Amino acid sequence: MSTSPTTTPTPTQPDAGWRQKHLLDVDALSLDEIQLVMRTTDAMKEVLSRPIAKVPALRGTNVTILFYEASTRTRVSFEVAAKNLSADVVNIAASTSSVTKGESLVDTIRTVEALGADMIVMRHGTSGAPYLAAEVFSGSILNGGDGWHAHPSQALLDLYTMRAHLGDVRGKKVVILGDILHSRVARSNLWSLTASGADLWLCAPSTLLRGFDAWAGRWAGGGAPGHAGFHVTSDVDAALRDADVVMALRLQRERMDAGLLPSLREYSARFGLTRERLAGARPDALVMHPGPMNEGVEIAPDVAILDRSVITEQVTNGVAVRMALLYLLAGGHPEAVTNA
Amino acid sequence: MHELRVGEVVPLLEISRAWLVDPVSRREGPGEVVVRDGILEAVTWLKGAAADGIGPDGVLVLPGLIDLHVHLREPGNEDAETVASGLAAAAHGGFTTVCAMPNTTPAADEPSVLARVAGAAAASGSPVELLAHGAVTVGRAGERLAALGELADAGVVGFSDDGSPVKSATLLRNALLYAGMLGLPIVEHVEDATLTSGAEANEGLVATILGLKGWPPAAEIAAAERAIAVLDSVRADATGARLHLTHLSTAGALAAVRRAKAAGLPVTCDVTPHHLGFTDEWVAGARRWAWEALDESGVARDPWADGALVAHPYATACRVNPPLRGAADAAACLAALVDGTADAVVTDHAPHTAVDKETEFGLAVNGISGLETAVGVLLAAVAAGRLSLARAVAALTVGPAAVMGSRPGRRGAARGLVEGAPADLVVVDAGDDWRVTPEALASRGKNTPLLGRELPGRVLVTLAQGRLAYQDPSERA
Repeated sequence: MSTSPTTTPTPTQPDAGWRQKHLLDVDALSLDEIQLVMRTTDAMKEVLSRPIAKVPALRGTNVTILFYEASTRTRVSFEVAAKNLSADVVNIAASTSSVTKGESLVDTIRTVEALGADMIVMRHGTSGAPYLAAEVFSGSILNGGDGWHAHPSQALLDLYTMRAHLGDVRGKKVVILGDILHSRVARSNLWSLTASGADLWLCAPSTLLRGFDAWAGRWAGGGAPGHAGFHVTSDVDAALRDADVVMALRLQRERMDAGLLPSLREYSARFGLTRERLAGARPDALVMHPGPMNEGVEIAPDVAILDRSVITEQVTNGVAVRMALLYLLAGGHPEAVTNA
Repeated sequence: MHELRVGEVVPLLEISRAWLVDPVSRREGPGEVVVRDGILEAVTWLKGAAADGIGPDGVLVLPGLIDLHVHLREPGNEDAETVASGLAAAAHGGFTTVCAMPNTTPAADEPSVLARVAGAAAASGSPVELLAHGAVTVGRAGERLAALGELADAGVVGFSDDGSPVKSATLLRNALLYAGMLGLPIVEHVEDATLTSGAEANEGLVATILGLKGWPPAAEIAAAERAIAVLDSVRADATGARLHLTHLSTAGALAAVRRAKAAGLPVTCDVTPHHLGFTDEWVAGARRWAWEALDESGVARDPWADGALVAHPYATACRVNPPLRGAADAAACLAALVDGTADAVVTDHAPHTAVDKETEFGLAVNGISGLETAVGVLLAAVAAGRLSLARAVAALTVGPAAVMGSRPGRRGAARGLVEGAPADLVVVDAGDDWRVTPEALASRGKNTPLLGRELPGRVLVTLAQGRLAYQDPSERA
């Protein structure tokens, strides 16, 4: 903390531990790389604590934010992160672009590249879309959420938030409660938390958990290299018992139309995160939610504002994590953020 | 052979010291063939010392292959394929008879559309025989029967709404009855659409991990069981009714066919090279053969755990209907081919433009361009000891011919290696690998996940009706 607040983080050689050109999902990251993101986020938190929370690390770098789906917190979080690093930020919302005239994703990516983008942060409603973008874009793609598949920056900010309170998450019981089937947040958290050795539990009604039981079974004897197994259940009380972290997921009303659930009322009664249910968890268990919340559906309003709710902290940490990710993908060295 | 053009009668072709396979006489072994003035003049089986060193891993001479199920896209989607490019692809793949599906624009639901396609085939100059299925329902819309009788008079070999199932069981029943009266099969794409709305990839571990909407095997199994039950219900009324289930991809549907056959029902089926050779883990980026994706105890391996993921995930070339299944289902397709439950192998050749495939996985059209890689995939299974060469050849010749009910002399007949008949054969070097590249494919559809890969079995020459259909560039003097 003795360094000057105007210290310049100079992008240098990429850290030996960081080998990614793109951030498409957490599954491509080694545990070393995940820890590197955590350390770099620490440095970015320090930057954010300065009176002028801005460093010139990405000066001259064009970060284009290309969102095909509505989003407030992720889009703004990336925009603030990029601006804190002095990047030039271009915002493209698909609804106002040529996409509505039928332009393909590939053409859009090529156009954005021709307009000078060095990095593209993209959100898309179709699983895997960022992989297609990464094939045609010469710069770096950051996946800001694709379909049901992945939301890597969310998983990393969730992990950062957990570590800030629990230290290492290894062996800690983390419960993700809600619409697992349609959740990119759950899938990305699954990779980062199993890589980190957490005792992960996924809990949902059986219709919103389809396929995950088989996945857990496949990983029961050890999953992908370096990953722990995880648990799957529809028994909320068993899931919450002695939990260290409880993360509720948003429930979308479309699920009722698709015949997956009888009603919001029934979901809330059986799976909503209430004070009564939370009593089964550890007394200091963290309450998390990736937002946006349906208070009174998947989480009771009085739970969301408990002292141990870190929901707004997740949002704050989101900016620091996204600064770290932009910085690392641009070739920055974590130690350079504060010591250069 | 010298500068012979496609379509010209072959003046002289001598193939010495090859491995001949004749599924009509059920014979294979070392031999030699001579083609003179388009006629298969001599077939000589070698014995003793003359046969030394000739094996099924070298040059093969097979009868011209038959594909019951291709999409040639003309009329309506000529940017994806034309009759001419499709027939060139067939010849490059060793096929001398192909049967076009009617899902063109407009659909082949009346003879005028067939006449146009036949005209394009004649104009192409290709000697490859083009047969056709007619649509079951008008516009393939599943509401009213198409002009089945007129289509039969125009020479169709079956009826299919392929691309979609015949949704109404009542209409399927009536179609079986009416087509049975005409002596032709209903070729059914079995899919319960209520289980596949929005489906993207086979329901299973890969779809779960990749966040793709599952395409359950149950959709195919339920529809196959329904179609078989409907067939059973019309047998008493129509002894000629026949049902052919195409591109089966699941152990459950194949088991249903096995039971139906055992019960004496007039049902046949086919499987594709991609459903028996590829698996859903290809969507995640694996590229190993299906038989390499099972462990010793027959359980599917986990490509995330064993490092089998070598390509980008979400490759749209892997998107097909029915979807690439799990390794156990793929093994069931191969087993059905081996035990004869599957009467034929078809390619379901489905060429598409780059525009329709170079898009998000969830938005991409279904289909794999397959005419030119079918022999290679089957030879890979043969080389792996999973399939006999004789069975592979039978499923591409006498098997599909029997499904069409062909008799000697009729179109689509399996010709065998018959002396004195117009030469209809393919010469394949099983020991010579070739690389699948966009340039190497004659089809306009380059949409195959085998791009960039070496396949066994270079087709050297294809002769159809005594005429040159294809010749490998290296064979041109």
